[in-house]
Amino acid sequence: MSTATTLERPQAVETPQRRRKPAPVRTHAPLTPWLLMAPALLAAIVFVLFPFLNTIVLSFTDARPLLGGSFNGLQNYRDLLADPMFWIALRNCLIYVVGAVPPLVILPLLLAMLVRKAVPGIGAIRTAIYTPVIASVVVTGLIWTWLLDSRGLVNSMAGWLGIISSPIPFLTDEYLLLISSMIVTVWQGIAYYMVVYLAVLANVPQSLHEAAMMDGAGPVRRFLTVTLPAMRSTMLLIGIIASLAAFRIFSEIFVLSGGTGGPGGRSSSLVMLIRESGTGLSGRLGYSSAVSIVLFLLTLILMIVNLRMTYRKES
Amino acid sequence: MLTRRDLMTGGSLTGLLLLSGCGLQPTGGPTVASGPIGTDIELEGAIRFQTWNLRSAYLEYFEGLIDEFVAAHPGASVDWVDQPADGYADNLQVDASNLDLPDVMNLAPDLAWPLAQAGLLLDIADARPEVLDGYADGAIEDYSDPQAGTTFAYPWYLNTGPIFYNRALFEEAGLDPDDPPTTWDELFDLADAMGDAVDGRFYMIGQLPAIADFGMYGVQVLDDDQERFIFNDERAVRMVERYRQAYERKGLLPDSTVLTYTGGGERFQSGQVALSTGSAYDVANFKENAPDLYANLGITETLTDTGHANMFSQGIAVSSRTEHPEVAIAFAEFLTSQEKQMEFAHIVDVFPSTEGALEDPYFTEDDGSDTSEVRVVAAGQLDSARNYTPVVWTEEMRVELQRQVGDAVVGRITAQEALDASVAQANRLAGVSE
Repeated sequence: MSTATTLERPQAVETPQRRRKPAPVRTHAPLTPWLLMAPALLAAIVFVLFPFLNTIVLSFTDARPLLGGSFNGLQNYRDLLADPMFWIALRNCLIYVVGAVPPLVILPLLLAMLVRKAVPGIGAIRTAIYTPVIASVVVTGLIWTWLLDSRGLVNSMAGWLGIISSPIPFLTDEYLLLISSMIVTVWQGIAYYMVVYLAVLANVPQSLHEAAMMDGAGPVRRFLTVTLPAMRSTMLLIGIIASLAAFRIFSEIFVLSGGTGGPGGRSSSLVMLIRESGTGLSGRLGYSSAVSIVLFLLTLILMIVNLRMTYRKES
Repeated sequence: MLTRRDLMTGGSLTGLLLLSGCGLQPTGGPTVASGPIGTDIELEGAIRFQTWNLRSAYLEYFEGLIDEFVAAHPGASVDWVDQPADGYADNLQVDASNLDLPDVMNLAPDLAWPLAQAGLLLDIADARPEVLDGYADGAIEDYSDPQAGTTFAYPWYLNTGPIFYNRALFEEAGLDPDDPPTTWDELFDLADAMGDAVDGRFYMIGQLPAIADFGMYGVQVLDDDQERFIFNDERAVRMVERYRQAYERKGLLPDSTVLTYTGGGERFQSGQVALSTGSAYDVANFKENAPDLYANLGITETLTDTGHANMFSQGIAVSSRTEHPEVAIAFAEFLTSQEKQMEFAHIVDVFPSTEGALEDPYFTEDDGSDTSEVRVVAAGQLDSARNYTPVVWTEEMRVELQRQVGDAVVGRITAQEALDASVAQANRLAGVSE
């Protein structure tokens, strides 16, 4: 019975405080969430919502820096529709989406399949592939400019090998400049999306591959029937992100064209048009705001279409 | 039915929308009273003086200048701020929007114009009419609004570009290096000849024409009232067609359709282009960075069919909201005085804007030094030079002209179509009805 005695806690040790339930935290229910959200909410209002609304208002005015402006109805939108540069920039953005997005969705997946295998030195290879992602677009753009210039490495090598008799106008032809910019975009973005695919690939159950192998499926069939279905939602997500980024392309074209938008500005994008018309002490804030709103609506439509397609396929 | 939350959301959005309309208000106008301002008093007060990317190279000059001013006026002080070259216009825009422009600031005509339009620069013609006679007329014009009869800055230093050419490339193309072009048509003829001779190994011309080039070709850029752009006449069309011909015969660098000015200069240094405009301080750059070019450098007067070279200027403006207008004016006049401008011209290879300063032997006699020949050639041009770039000419107009001319040069549109479109856009941007 001694055991029972030692296990028994003497009642005198128990204090009244220990028995009492802890006091409930006073949450001030209606205000607490707002208080917690306040810093982020304030930042969102000041830096996102207010500028967005301001852009909408300005798009209906003839505002200029310092001089202010007055409402001019839909004039900026009428000017925009009559501006050939707007249509050229819109065309270029669409070309960019069509040209750059498929490689940005497919190539990183293939690359991820290649580098996911644990072979000696794979860490160094992955790091090397990832390097362009951490480099500044401006720096990589300048490097590519030196490569693709009429006296650059690519033309010099091609000339030396006798493949070409005169330099290929990579940076002076409107379409070649766009294609060159897309190459830079894909080259720089490929490793970023590869990492996303690598993370998802790691979650594909190995048992599925083993079952497919048991059924006699080769590597291609396993890729099509096991890997691709598992990757579908990730591919759609990357497609959405890449197409939104492609629609708002700026740095690559700007750097490769030396800020001019190519011959006659015919390789300009919508963001370049916004920058060109809206900056400087004499900038047309109203017009550039109208282009911004149109760009916003176009990307919104693109996103809704993508999401609907995703939803439909998922269900 | 509307809930309290709907009302609060709607109210907040409406409030934000109303607030966002605040951006439509013009920036505040002048606080300095109009009328003459005297500086023959004991000067007291602190002012802020802003330069444009000059501190790294000319720190000693400006510190000495400020010390000298403060020693003469012990009650005054000058806080010198130097802004980097990149984003200078953006910095000015932010300062102007915040009504916090420096009291005294270094501006080029195209930056000064919009600030003056917003009433943010002191009208020198009103405040100090007696001092304007001390500056060259051509320089004053750069900072004057003839319609309003105002002058919004003191002219500071001037520059003009002689023509540099590569004698070795001239010889290689079978051209006489001792007979460089003196008119635009001669340049185009030589460009065609060089293209025929070397078939694109190098080119005579490295960039498309700017608005000032049209002016020097004899094209009237603005109408007689200085309001409407009219640079789409027959002569302007002829100029663009000559560029197109040069492009087809490989006398014009194909990349020029996308190159910025800096790019064109780089091609000249690398030996891909045989002729380029420049300024007196380019010679030292060639000596250091392009020794082959420096060894074969030819220098001649600028190309002009009007007898007048093109001129660039920098000005010193006084804020119309300065709290110490007397100190700001006195400092601006001290900085742009003949004595101080001459001192600056001796260390920078620029030219003073004060009346008669170019008669100094420093600008008329070649002492045999590297830069002396360029300086004398350039100073000789300045006497009759004018600024062919109108003060109302904006960056967006420049881009549009380059775009249209680029299209015409590669044959996508005709020269007339290109110029008509440029003129229409320029007039639209300037707020002039068709």
